[in-house]
Amino acid sequence: MFKYQFDWSVVLTGQYAQWIVDGIKVTIQLSMASIALSFLMGLIIAVMRMSQVAPIRGVAHGYLEFIRNTPLLVQFFFWYFGSYQILPQAVNDWLNARDFEFAAAVIALTIYTSAFIAEDIRSGIRSIPKEQMEAARSSGFSYIRSMLYIILPQAVRLTIPPLISQFLNLTKNSSLAMTIGVAELTYQARQVESYTFRGFEAFTAATLVYLVMSLVITGLVMLYDKKVLSPTGMK
Amino acid sequence: MKKILAVLLTVAFVAGLAGIALAEDTYDIVKKRGTLIVGTKDASPGFGYIDPKTREIIGYDCDFAAYLAKKMGVKLELKGVTSAARIPQLQAGNVDLIAATLTWTAERAKQVDFSYTYFLTGQKFLVKKGTVNSLADLEGKKLGTAKGTTSEQNASKALPKATILSFDDYPQAFLALQQGKVVAVTTDESILAGILGKAPNKDQYEIADIRISDEPYGIAMRKDSPKMLKFVNDTLLEMEKNGEAKKIWDKWFNPKSDQPMPRGKFKITADRK
Amino acid sequence: MDGWFGFQVIWDNMAHFLVGRYPSGPIGGLALTIWLAVVSCALSIVIGIFTGLLCVSQNRFIKYPVLTVVNAIRGIPLLMVIFWMYFLLPAFMGMVVAESWTVIAALTIFTSAYMSQIVQAGIEAISRGQTEAGLSTGLPRNQVMVFIVLPQAVRNMIPSFVNQLVSLIKDTSLAFIVGVAELTHVATQVNNRTMVYPAQIFLFIAIIYFILCFMLTSYSRHLEQKLAYRKGI
Repeated sequence: MFKYQFDWSVVLTGQYAQWIVDGIKVTIQLSMASIALSFLMGLIIAVMRMSQVAPIRGVAHGYLEFIRNTPLLVQFFFWYFGSYQILPQAVNDWLNARDFEFAAAVIALTIYTSAFIAEDIRSGIRSIPKEQMEAARSSGFSYIRSMLYIILPQAVRLTIPPLISQFLNLTKNSSLAMTIGVAELTYQARQVESYTFRGFEAFTAATLVYLVMSLVITGLVMLYDKKVLSPTGMK
Repeated sequence: MKKILAVLLTVAFVAGLAGIALAEDTYDIVKKRGTLIVGTKDASPGFGYIDPKTREIIGYDCDFAAYLAKKMGVKLELKGVTSAARIPQLQAGNVDLIAATLTWTAERAKQVDFSYTYFLTGQKFLVKKGTVNSLADLEGKKLGTAKGTTSEQNASKALPKATILSFDDYPQAFLALQQGKVVAVTTDESILAGILGKAPNKDQYEIADIRISDEPYGIAMRKDSPKMLKFVNDTLLEMEKNGEAKKIWDKWFNPKSDQPMPRGKFKITADRK
Repeated sequence: MDGWFGFQVIWDNMAHFLVGRYPSGPIGGLALTIWLAVVSCALSIVIGIFTGLLCVSQNRFIKYPVLTVVNAIRGIPLLMVIFWMYFLLPAFMGMVVAESWTVIAALTIFTSAYMSQIVQAGIEAISRGQTEAGLSTGLPRNQVMVFIVLPQAVRNMIPSFVNQLVSLIKDTSLAFIVGVAELTHVATQVNNRTMVYPAQIFLFIAIIYFILCFMLTSYSRHLEQKLAYRKGI
């Protein structure tokens, strides 16, 4: 028989509280790095996907379909364990001497999320009238430059709401990094649980932190949207 | 936010109280059900692992579980558990017993009841041949082990500056060692020997002779089951007496096996060690 | 042994990948993955429609609490939901819950939150005229919702439901964490045993997932086009 006696001091003070705080730090670093990279990569893939050169379009299309239709967890395992067989030994040695667990998690999250971001950006681009591109081209801009200076800034602005939810998903998905030994928040909550058998306290703490982070991300991006990307701010 | 917190707290509290429902002695539950459900490892060579041909779980732990079920006159069902899931699975009532390389510790003994020790080993390090001679060689390096284990806790005590990477089970940690992601896998010698025995390129690895702890394994059950505890303990003593315990040891760890380990002076006694 | 770059390992363990330990043990592998996804999908469609209707309720004491819970669930990782269920469900129900049901419960709760948003958006997309016409025939508001608006909305939602099924199939891989022997767990078991072919094994199961999900995604696109065409008339 077990009557559950709550002991919040476990997650609020001392060594175990420190673990949770360390976990929060790693989750934030992991999410920030992956958000930045996946946005960049999403943009590139979206532009490739709309390219006039068929092979480029095909490669981007294949990439999108494959990544979007495969579980993220499998991708984590593939990049962390599978990459070893593919990469040359020298590269492996170089990676292993560093924090490869973290890097593999960033790679997996970036590649996975960029596929979703690319599709969101693409539908943003498609909603920009064709005449804009024609006008840009006829005033002497190259295709790349028209994209970069005329089309993309408008498309990105239109894409902000779906992007927010992708970034949120990414932050939540970063919890999967625990499976390859990255000591992020979920990993630490689980560590506290297995050291102290205080599962309820540890998971409540972690859950609340995720909720707060979700709120903060939504808030920050909305603020950014208002201040930086608003029509007047774009000049 | 407050609302969510309140809901979560209420739910957690109610859940805590609801735990009382599992008050019946496990022995009676098993008898009534006609099946003994034992949690064993499913990726620990020698103790509990899946036979690639029959896809059944086999090993030292499984043979003990089978003997217990036979003695009780019930069917046996084996359930694969990971290290971190063992005790939660037991407390949740998903398994009746755990025979899954579970080391006795004072902290764990507060959560579950342990039988007499049925296997004794110690924690060591599996490394690339010739790379590690003393504990000092490992300080500050990356070590691999499994989540929710005593190995993890012992290692961080013995090597406070080392980075401990915890995976879901040991073979994954060994894979990390093979790929150079960690310099050693640390856990009970018995488990290391099992992994090494099954490794395709075993000649490149060795178990360094650095022992950082004693690891007595016990069969664990829920705290509310004195009848089950007495049954398991009596059966273990009987197995020692009629030679069955030694037979099982020799079956899995004889000198010609993949993971030879002499039984030495070890005997199951009415004692913890 | 090392034939075709080590892909022999896939062939040797094919039965294990497809059905797990069945028939000598419980069913697992791909079969369990599909079972988990389909059951959770069916359950979360039902719960999603129900909570979706509550979210568009005009009673604010129903609407806002439900919206809060739905959004809270969307704010936490699925992995966390699984852990909660893993510790909560057995204690809460006061009885033994098989891990596969733990996972189904977690997937259902998580996906229902998304389903309810789909339902909400779907209902809002049906023109006001429909609601008003229904109301003017003298039907009470609840019945107008359930018998007039919802059936039309659900037809438009089917592609989104299929997309959620795709997400579910991918999400079942997290069942691996609590030791449910679905496809990803089986892959790690095989990987743990053979040790030297991680790339082949994970690529292989990625392809299995891909085939399954891509078929469904394509089907959902086909449905979308059909619906768009019908709307156009």
